[in-house]
Amino acid sequence: MGNHLGNGGSYHFRSLNPGLIDRLRSIVGEEGLIYRASELKVYECDGWTIEKNTPELLVLPKNTAEVSAVLRTLYAEGIAFVPRGAGTGLSGGSLPLNAPVMVCTSRMNRILSIDYANRRVEVESGVVNLHVSNAVKAAGFFYAPDPSSQAACTIGGNISENSGGPHTLKYGVTTNHVLGLELVLPDGEVVELGSAVEETCGYDLVGAVVGAEGTVGIVTRATLKLTRQPEACRTFLAIFADVDSATRAVSAIIAAGVIPAAIEMMDQLIIQAVEEAFHVGLPKEAGAVVIIEIDGLAAGIDERAEQVRSLVLANGAKEIRLARDETERAALWKARKRAFGAVGRLAPNYATQDGVVPRTRLPEILREITNVSRRYNLRIGNVFHAGDGNIHPIILYDERDPDQVRRAIEAGRDILKACVEMGGSLSGEHGIGAEKMNEMPLLFSPDDLIVMAELRRVFDPLERSNPNKVIPQPGACVEVAAPRRQVAV
Amino acid sequence: MTEALIKSNHLSLERLAAAFESLLSDSGRVRIAQGPDAEVASLVVEPTTVAELGEIVRKCESDSLALVPLAGGNTLRQIRRHPAIVGVSLSRMDRIVNYEPHDMTVVAQAGITLGKLNQAMAEYRQHLPLDPPHPEKVTLGSLVACAKAGPLRLSEGRVRDLLIGIEFIGHQGRAVRAGGRVVKNVAGYDLMKVMTGSYGTLGIITETVFKVRPVPEKWELLLAPFENASDAFEAADGLYQQLPLLHLEVLSPVVSSQISGTRKSLVVAAIGGNDAEVEYQRGLARDRLKGALSTLTDVAAFETYVRLRDVEFEDAAIEAQIAVLPAKLASCLNALQCEYVAYAGSGVARLFAREVKDAKQALELVSEWRAKARASGGHLRVVSLAKELRSAGIAMFDTVNEGAMKLMAELKRRFDPAGIFNPGCFIGGL
Ligand SMILES: Cc1cc2nc3c(=O)[nH]c(=O)nc-3n(C[C@H](O)[C@H](O)[C@H](O)COP(=O)(O)OP(=O)(O)OC[C@H]3O[C@@H](n4cnc5c(N)ncnc54)[C@H](O)[C@@H]3O)c2cc1C
Repeated sequence: MGNHLGNGGSYHFRSLNPGLIDRLRSIVGEEGLIYRASELKVYECDGWTIEKNTPELLVLPKNTAEVSAVLRTLYAEGIAFVPRGAGTGLSGGSLPLNAPVMVCTSRMNRILSIDYANRRVEVESGVVNLHVSNAVKAAGFFYAPDPSSQAACTIGGNISENSGGPHTLKYGVTTNHVLGLELVLPDGEVVELGSAVEETCGYDLVGAVVGAEGTVGIVTRATLKLTRQPEACRTFLAIFADVDSATRAVSAIIAAGVIPAAIEMMDQLIIQAVEEAFHVGLPKEAGAVVIIEIDGLAAGIDERAEQVRSLVLANGAKEIRLARDETERAALWKARKRAFGAVGRLAPNYATQDGVVPRTRLPEILREITNVSRRYNLRIGNVFHAGDGNIHPIILYDERDPDQVRRAIEAGRDILKACVEMGGSLSGEHGIGAEKMNEMPLLFSPDDLIVMAELRRVFDPLERSNPNKVIPQPGACVEVAAPRRQVAV
Repeated sequence: MTEALIKSNHLSLERLAAAFESLLSDSGRVRIAQGPDAEVASLVVEPTTVAELGEIVRKCESDSLALVPLAGGNTLRQIRRHPAIVGVSLSRMDRIVNYEPHDMTVVAQAGITLGKLNQAMAEYRQHLPLDPPHPEKVTLGSLVACAKAGPLRLSEGRVRDLLIGIEFIGHQGRAVRAGGRVVKNVAGYDLMKVMTGSYGTLGIITETVFKVRPVPEKWELLLAPFENASDAFEAADGLYQQLPLLHLEVLSPVVSSQISGTRKSLVVAAIGGNDAEVEYQRGLARDRLKGALSTLTDVAAFETYVRLRDVEFEDAAIEAQIAVLPAKLASCLNALQCEYVAYAGSGVARLFAREVKDAKQALELVSEWRAKARASGGHLRVVSLAKELRSAGIAMFDTVNEGAMKLMAELKRRFDPAGIFNPGCFIGGL
């Protein structure tokens, strides 16, 4: 234990010794360390703000060699760490639990090479998602997975959560676009997995690392696929009296064999919040709106648009509007992608849930969410990826009221239970993290979890990388649950 | 070695068969392997439930008996140099468990063939768009275990892109599930990826869940012959850059003659969509390909597609698959002496060598091909060898770097600590 006073703030190492800090400083330099309490506060949680816990030390390596040296040093001392990208995660993935050191990739943000002939791009893991698409835009390409947080979140975070986004309905999620990885194992060893070619040689270890939520080491580089921009697209706003008819229309589109690029739904609470924040002309009295985008060749797109229009109108839409130009289209997407932020105006705090049901069960799960909202007396909005049945109920609460915090947590849990009962899943894209670890037995048997834990130990036998995440540990959860709720309640 | 083990335990195959028989509820589900099966395993056991298969795995673990899945296909026969003791046939576990056309997902047991599954979904104009050769012979278990794919990989992806849930029987006979029935799901570690392409070395796959896709409203096949391969690849690339093709191949002249009757390099491109889209694509292709472009529709298109999907040579001494950087596929193939089906755009090709003198020449040829594939950023897997070449010591799988290999060995050790699941013939001898 060390207790120091530096210029500008106090810091306090609960478990780390000063000798270790010096060794890490010699690897990453003074500018690569953050340890003052005031500066560490930013890192006490990610987008899942219900639980908070500050790391003792934040390390910011600049390259693979530094990551490797840092992990080797921690390994030798038996110290666990938590990887972090931009901290936009929504399941407490980068919340430090029994891991005093946080290793952040934000200084590893270079695009290393772009290869248009092969449609590949190689990046460092701290590169921001949108920067990849921006870099290849002029040449007519984009990086397909587009989480709504894409202006901030990193490729390393996307890989670890297997993130999706509105357009993953047509283009696939992160795992469909990652071919090769450089991974630093928790003991500091650097391994290359996969490559830039399409077929896997041996076991698909890249596939195992994508979605592993930071529990297998630190991803330092990735080779990603680039996608050609579609020639043309049409974006609609369909307006409905209620969510029931909106979900029926979604099913009708899919059943007709049309796979749009995106189908995103917002309910009344969200419509009103978004309209107040951005004034994009959403009808405030509507029960639900659906953004439908189709894309592809310019030839034939008008026929397809007509098909979508008549399907939607035949299935209960009050009205359907076509974005007339790129400005109108951009406004719709801006409204959608910033919906979470808009909700921030409605309540001091909100928790974004993430669950999945088979697409045809959407009407049922939305009714259940309404019931949950009544039962716990909390407002819940819905803005989500309707085309894949991936719901995002946003639960509004006030963290100053411990009872509301409790209700918010329980309401989220009830919704997830309902998803699982309808044949769905606990998470479509935000991950299990710290948040949903204890719900995993709803979905998986003890045998399933034992084998999943074995997979993790292939990479991290001592569980040093992001401990106490994803898989519930009998006994351990009681110990960690109490301290990590420290700030929230 | 396996024979010796049996003898030293004073067990005859008959007694072993009886022991397995006692684990199953019906009689007549265990037999001594005959014909091609005998190259892979000595006994064939046909469980009907996951519980029975669990018992079989436990018995194999406690008696140290190697266990392999028998899928009727050729793959295991090719990679196993010695038969295992026990072969499990899932021919009795071949049901469609749940098909939800409106959710576009299907749950099916691993013993059903891809052909049957697709037949069942045809009335909804949906399919599982994975199309390795002879889907009527490929069970879903082998489709996943061997990560099989075909022409549609270009537009629809591979097993890893479509498999959303799995059940397999692993160590201690545990039934392990991962994923689920929904098309988007990140709960838990992705065991679907781990099992895809694991060649039976981590457990026996019993159930699979796939997302399925709509069959295109309309599609056509465009064929264009070229005097030389370079021109064919260039033309194919031109199409690939401009059109969202369903699939795209360049065929060597001999393969081409099987498909179309012309003994020239052949570009095959499939276009699909609504009327306007198809018409536009056909027009653009005509401008680009100039020369003798022929367009096939309906039955003619389908029959040609099937011939292309199922290309094979009765007399092929070696079949291999290379995966290289897509832009290097043409130059890589130009440097190799072989017949091929090249999946342009994907960087993958099936290669065939027909006249090989002896095992030594085969070994040299594979080494040369492999070196070229590596020089183009990729790797080569041998798919099949004529019987007389199998003793040449040709490695069926390519190698990976030391760090990745260490992790693969660790994965095998942790998932199969008893070492019974199809041991000794996968990458690095796993
Ligand atoms: C407004 C908003 C909208 C969002 N919209 C979407 C959406 O549409 N779709 C979607 O899928 N998600 C969405 N998210 C969630 C979040 O943005 C994604 O999960 C994102 O991928 C996280 O990236 P990050 O860089 O912020 O990672 P972090 O939050 O820092 O970390 C996420 C996890 O990854 C691990 N990690 C990070 N970097 C590495 C690395 N280099 N190596 C190993 N492990 C690492 C961490 O330990 C942690 O477990 C949204 C979040 C917000 C706040």
